[in-house]
Amino acid sequence: MIPVCVLTGFLGSGKTTLLGRLVKSSDFRATAVIINEFGEIGLDHDLIETSDESFVELQTGCLCCTIRGDLVRTLADILRRRDDGAVPAFDRIVIETSGLADPAPILHALMSDDHLAARLTVAGVVTTVDAVNGADTLGRRQEAVKQVALADRLVLTKTDLVDQNPDALLARLAALNPTAPVLPATFGAIDPSRLFDAGVRDASGKSADGPAWLAEIAHHHDRAHDPNRHDERIACFALIRDRPIAAVALTLFLEVLSEHCGADLLRLKGIVDIAESPDRPAVIHGVQHVFHPPGFLDRWPSADRRSRMIFIVREIPRAFVEALLGAIEAEVQETAQPA
Amino acid sequence: MTANPIAPVHDLLAASLRAWRVDGSVARGADGSLVLSTSGTTLAVSRGLPPFRWIVTVGARRRGVTSVAGLLRTVRRVVDPDHQPNRLRIAPAPLVLP
Repeated sequence: MIPVCVLTGFLGSGKTTLLGRLVKSSDFRATAVIINEFGEIGLDHDLIETSDESFVELQTGCLCCTIRGDLVRTLADILRRRDDGAVPAFDRIVIETSGLADPAPILHALMSDDHLAARLTVAGVVTTVDAVNGADTLGRRQEAVKQVALADRLVLTKTDLVDQNPDALLARLAALNPTAPVLPATFGAIDPSRLFDAGVRDASGKSADGPAWLAEIAHHHDRAHDPNRHDERIACFALIRDRPIAAVALTLFLEVLSEHCGADLLRLKGIVDIAESPDRPAVIHGVQHVFHPPGFLDRWPSADRRSRMIFIVREIPRAFVEALLGAIEAEVQETAQPA
Repeated sequence: MTANPIAPVHDLLAASLRAWRVDGSVARGADGSLVLSTSGTTLAVSRGLPPFRWIVTVGARRRGVTSVAGLLRTVRRVVDPDHQPNRLRIAPAPLVLP
């Protein structure tokens, strides 16, 4: 399986600078880069200088709306050319989105296409945030807010241009997406290995990000009620259950959540104590109404055996999510009892 | 049977209105049913007999539903008829775990 990373970030936030540095890194060789630029004449791809083992493909138009099908075709095409030996045998793909892109439809395309899913694995979303203008951008542009909310890793760029630690910006990022580590980059310099081990799925078979974000779930739960006055529409909260959840209850819960709030369910990650699988917790991961099939860990990663789910949502009340799971669990429990 | 099976559904319907961005309220009726009122509609939700777990009454029409999922779907069709539901989609590739 070839990992695919989505590199996003608002206009001018330093995506191309970061990518330009990365592709020159020896740790980042053998990478196929797909650059999406909004406009008829692309420029960013000319700013990326690659080694012989990497190459750049250019797409124009907005990846997330008009040419999602083109992305699937582009990926299928570079896989075919790799198989034919027409391009270097890359072992990683990075998709750099345009600055206004919504990453969710791109993840849908990667997760949903049967042919791509057989060969590619989503390695995560990396979002660049400008330390100078990031706070202002997050206050004005919902695209930027969603890019942050969907990230597995946040890269703080232009840190060399600020005199003080951008505490307010860091607080905003933590409120919007507490599970994504914030990694500072100066002039695009950052250790690639810290960026691209981000996804729930890890094609290398090494550690997925489960333990890291699971730890954040428990931590975040304690401060989930912090007001976030700048981003009222997007919220992050955790749901923790002490008792096991029946498999059918979890399935119904996800189905109803998708049916009624799919578009606003920006991201859901969790580790769940399934009643029928007490020793092997299930890991769930979804973007809007599209979910990976649950994966089952060989064992609990820590002594904490509670079900923990983290929701990044747009205007879905926490009370609805809690009441929905509670009502479905009550129904399943009642149905299971003899009449 | 749980002690008060209608209580979780009361909370759920009230929270659902907020999630659906529909102005309205949910109250207990004199007969123990739940009365959901919006600016344009009033409906009642009461316990049903098997196989129906819930009965939704809108005007003279009574409709039985068998689950919480069916209840929410039925109620939303009444109070939010323009809603386009999403269907849960499972990606073809499994998660790869450590």
